Amino acid sequence: MAERPSASFGFRDVALDEKQGMVDEVFHKVARRYDLMNDLMSAGLHRLWKDALVSRLAPPRSGRRPYQVVDVAGGTGDVAFRIVDRSNGHARVTVADINGSMLQVGRERAEARRIDGVTFVEANAEDLPFESGRFDAYTIAFGIRNVPRIDVALSEAYRVLKPGGRFLCLEFSAVDAPIADKVYEAYSMRVIPAMGRVVARDEDSYRYLVESIRRFPNQERFKAMIETAGFSRVGYTNLTLGVAALHVGVKI
Amino acid sequence: MSLPPSLGNRQAGAIDPKLLEILVCPLTKTTLEWRSDRQELISRSARLAYPVRDGIPIMLPDEARSLGDDE
Repeated sequence: MAERPSASFGFRDVALDEKQGMVDEVFHKVARRYDLMNDLMSAGLHRLWKDALVSRLAPPRSGRRPYQVVDVAGGTGDVAFRIVDRSNGHARVTVADINGSMLQVGRERAEARRIDGVTFVEANAEDLPFESGRFDAYTIAFGIRNVPRIDVALSEAYRVLKPGGRFLCLEFSAVDAPIADKVYEAYSMRVIPAMGRVVARDEDSYRYLVESIRRFPNQERFKAMIETAGFSRVGYTNLTLGVAALHVGVKI
Repeated sequence: MSLPPSLGNRQAGAIDPKLLEILVCPLTKTTLEWRSDRQELISRSARLAYPVRDGIPIMLPDEARSLGDDE
């Protein structure tokens, strides 16, 4: 067989053009229970991690123009609502997600909570439908590991940011503490798929989530990828011993 | 690109005019035309029409309609 570009899908390598469809299917299945499952899987920690991202972003509460943020892969609106809230309504967040089911959940929530300033677009992180230099900040929380070509998504992030615009990425990462890494491994490989079976009635989707976390580049390797995309002042902060990491960079 | 005033409302089939301002074709990164009768965003350069469903633009080439010769 001729060599085809491949991407990781959990522990399996799949053809690059197949990965997106497989990821789509996982998120169509889990959309309604996604945030609930995040609560259970991370024992509520994902809320603290998202708060850490929004605190680091520190969106301004006033200014001549609205503070423009694009939140990629944020379909259910969880991060977008926090940003609007923290900015006292001064931030306008465009949520881009490739998955229609996740966006549907987000839009229903925005309407139910009467949140203004958040708009939803179905789009691919590798081919964003936005003009260059439009946004003050690009955020992505627990989304980038699901993108088939991470380097392409990072280049798009760079493109849509204004000069001075900031990139903030929250993602599961590598636990680097002894003992804790073993405990985390046992938890993630056994407990999370079991929870997925009981709560979302979908063990396979959650097994994919766990495996994709373990395949994702560690803190230093991901930092190097962000620098390669053109960002300056790239750094990261470990959260909860490195279970998650917040990477940041600036477009100069 | 001019928008009818009704698009500012949160009605079924409406689209946020501020969102339309920032959208471009994901393939060619060129501006789009809004066709309210068909609820589509037209990319002349890519010859594609992106559907807008329940106010959410679907900016995926795989979901877009190819423009006919007379469009």
